[in-house]
Amino acid sequence: MYRFLRLPILLVGLFMAVSCYAVNDSQPTLTTEDDLGPQVAQPIEFPHYRHAGNRNTVDPTNSDPTKGGMEINCQYCHTYARRSLTAGIPPLQKCIGCHQNIPSVRDKPRIVELFKYWDAKKAVPWKKVHDLPDFVRFTHERHIKRFIEQQGRPVQEVCGYCHGQVKEMVTARRQKPITMGWCVSCHMKEHVVAAKADIPEGGTPIGKQAYWYTFQKPAETKNAAGELTAKGPNDCWLCHK
Amino acid sequence: MIDSGSEKHLAGHPFDRRDFLKVLGWSGTAVALSGCGNTSIEDGKETVVSYVEAKDYVIPGVAVYFNSTCAQCDAGCSISGKVREGRVLKLEGNPDSAINKGKMCGVGQAGVQHHYNPDRVREPLLRNGDKGETITWEKAYALIAEKLAAVKGEEIAFLTGGVSGHQKVLLGNYLDSLGTKNHFVYEAVSPGVVRAANLKAYGVEMPRYRIDKAKVVLSFGADFLGAWVSPVHFSQQYAQFRRGVDGQRGVLIQAESKMTLTGANADRWLAVRPGTEGILALGIINALGTATGDVAELVKGYDKARVSRDTGVEPSNIDKIAALLKLRSPSLVLAGSAAEGYAHGSQNAAAINLLNQVLGNVGKTIEAPVSVPFPQMSPAKGNTAALKTLNDDLAAGKYKVLFNVATNPVFTAPASYKFRDNMARAGFKVAFAHYLDETALQADLVLPLDSAMEDWGTSVPEYLTEGAQINIQQPLMERLHPNTRGLGDIVLALIKQRRADEYKGFDDYYGYLRGAMLQNKGALGGGGSDDDNFWNDTLSRGIVKLAGPSASLNASMATAGLKLPAPVEIDEHYPFQLIPSVTSSLRDGRHTNQPWLQESPDPLTTIVWDSWVEMHPKKATEMGIVEGDIVEVTSKTGSVKAQVYLFPGIYPDAVSIPIGRGHDAMGRYAKGYGVNPFQIMDSVFESATGELAMHETRVNITKTGQRVIVVKDEGPAGGMQMGRKIAARVSTDQVDLSKEV
Repeated sequence: MYRFLRLPILLVGLFMAVSCYAVNDSQPTLTTEDDLGPQVAQPIEFPHYRHAGNRNTVDPTNSDPTKGGMEINCQYCHTYARRSLTAGIPPLQKCIGCHQNIPSVRDKPRIVELFKYWDAKKAVPWKKVHDLPDFVRFTHERHIKRFIEQQGRPVQEVCGYCHGQVKEMVTARRQKPITMGWCVSCHMKEHVVAAKADIPEGGTPIGKQAYWYTFQKPAETKNAAGELTAKGPNDCWLCHK
Repeated sequence: MIDSGSEKHLAGHPFDRRDFLKVLGWSGTAVALSGCGNTSIEDGKETVVSYVEAKDYVIPGVAVYFNSTCAQCDAGCSISGKVREGRVLKLEGNPDSAINKGKMCGVGQAGVQHHYNPDRVREPLLRNGDKGETITWEKAYALIAEKLAAVKGEEIAFLTGGVSGHQKVLLGNYLDSLGTKNHFVYEAVSPGVVRAANLKAYGVEMPRYRIDKAKVVLSFGADFLGAWVSPVHFSQQYAQFRRGVDGQRGVLIQAESKMTLTGANADRWLAVRPGTEGILALGIINALGTATGDVAELVKGYDKARVSRDTGVEPSNIDKIAALLKLRSPSLVLAGSAAEGYAHGSQNAAAINLLNQVLGNVGKTIEAPVSVPFPQMSPAKGNTAALKTLNDDLAAGKYKVLFNVATNPVFTAPASYKFRDNMARAGFKVAFAHYLDETALQADLVLPLDSAMEDWGTSVPEYLTEGAQINIQQPLMERLHPNTRGLGDIVLALIKQRRADEYKGFDDYYGYLRGAMLQNKGALGGGGSDDDNFWNDTLSRGIVKLAGPSASLNASMATAGLKLPAPVEIDEHYPFQLIPSVTSSLRDGRHTNQPWLQESPDPLTTIVWDSWVEMHPKKATEMGIVEGDIVEVTSKTGSVKAQVYLFPGIYPDAVSIPIGRGHDAMGRYAKGYGVNPFQIMDSVFESATGELAMHETRVNITKTGQRVIVVKDEGPAGGMQMGRKIAARVSTDQVDLSKEV
């Protein structure tokens, strides 16, 4: 019987098994290419495009839900993002807060469904679309402070770095790989920081701490566009606490 | 890659170990490669449940802290529970409390494991043969009403641990409504004898000890850093004491038969023959030479030679201690569980208190206690004499209904009590329980209690420090199990059966508590503020601080009746004195089912998850015993088998087994680990108070021939680690105390 256990056979079998496994599994990319996740079925088909999408400039009433959105700030509903590690799903109270005052859509199937949950005082069992392994500590707060509050970039753009064009989606779908390599690819980029003149202590962009990690230290001279830049933090422990 | 030559070579040969290792290596690499990017991400599978309505301060991912009170022991430390997403995660000390000032001990930290314990009772259980049948609360209450209707008031008995605050008031009213006065307050480990001796000497049961003000502390077995009275508070006082008063670092001398955690921290540790602590105290009074009158008369016979012979303490040490006590004032002398655990425990404690008085410490380092201005809320203090009385009454068939509120006497009563059998003589036994422990298993009806993190309550600790305070206990989160109830809620439901009219205004215990607190708003410091503000403020603080009346101390020395027996001669059949030690993590064994406490190494031996018999190395060598030998420890009452640990910090004629382990029920982390020294404890009682004399058991040690490896955290024997000495060891007789001072 041992003749069947020859090394070549074993190795070939092994590689086949591993290749099947590997094909099935998406490998990380080091780019910011879109990497579509599965379309996740949600208990209520929440139309992000209608809430966050651009207004229909042609129609002043903006009444056609297929053409125009409300341009609601992401942070109006995902209010925890700037305060906490997790962006959180807004409490049901938040949805009802507006919708009890919008009788025109009250009898739409999704809204009827929404009010069913509210009347029963039950939470909507949303499914998680963007997930990170338990050993990764990602904080929304820090990124929002850095790019929205400190640099004043548009909210939808900043959220979109990781979440994609949610304002064009119905229910959210993962568009980026959200893997470590992908995170690092952004942390390796040169990001604009405030000039030393703005922060006399020469601190980090957030909190004006007078402390830079060596690799993050902004370049002494400005780049071609006349900006001072630095890389994002790159310590293992920053995410793997 | 494997080159073709080796491949050919392999192909012609049977698959051997080398090939196997190669394949193993390749497969490892292959798996590692495919593992990249293969994480535990499960997009779209996990549910994120959002809130329906969220309070403004609730932010997912950001913790909120709620103040409450630790219920792991009776010290009454105030805690602050870290709550995130509706779950309590960790406990911290509340800095506003004068007792623990923001600090906590390991036992307190393990409180979350009490709350999340998988072995908690979750439903009311009614005995059906050997099994417990789940029943509804309505049925349980109806059953109790039915049983109580059939008996007279004096046939009902209540057994509880120490209770205070509104729960004590409500429980008292319930007992009143039943027409019974049989309330037995039982704590397996309590300073009952010291309380009685203090009452005689100072006029109060528990004065305030000011270790922080003392320049010398002489402690007779009081493990105030580990498990005595209010360890977190004393630890802070101790830190201050070591920092020093007037630039003089405090000196700690510990005299005891078995080294405690406090003994291990002492500058000088004296191994005292078990039971002779009082003789040593009188010997020191004699050596001081300052006593006059009755006291001088009393200590006349206690010269150095005799005291040294009786106690085993070198005469030179007695001189040094006396010299030090004379040199530095104020000092503080403490009587702890090692001194009180004998038939003449009161005499020991009285002699030690007398030393305090001779030294003039009363009023300086021994201060008058404060009490809350509501005497009905002050604590009912537990002792062991109560259990003795209950046990005798049960044996005599006096009680037909027995309520047991979360105490575990089947585990903590000496085997000679036969408590289990006597308990069976009560016709109907109700246990309010967190776990199905040894006692709950004997009950006919088990009522599941809320954990301390789910329940409402107020408590007044026995040992108050700076001022009077009422501690608030409030839920840190929702009930984990929907069918547990708070003690207050259960008692309220029961009292409604008797006095419906009086209590119909209260829907639940929360309502009762809020109502009772608001009624006394003015006295509780909330006069002038509106009800809701006062209540919210009280809850957010977790403590109500009060100006309480202070008792006065009696400083007169009383020597009447103070008579110490000569030390016991060695009994050849039972040559060792058994010292059941109270460890800082397990105490009386009520929390043994919290794995952190099983896992945290004993501070002196570093042993985990098991019991041990502590022996002096000299004695062990004489008997040919080495570490890890399983020995049988036999007393007149029974025997247990456990591993030996050799430890020089014990009087050579004594052996010690820690209390707390050896459960045969309670839960997966407690059952079957170690042995229970209560099973071999003789029924000897302290002569003046009737407390169980826990140190009066004499035992014999025999080898069983088995040997195990002791599971402990310390390094190899000898205190060397990688060739580096951990701590310098000097035997006590080589230390020049004058240089230490």
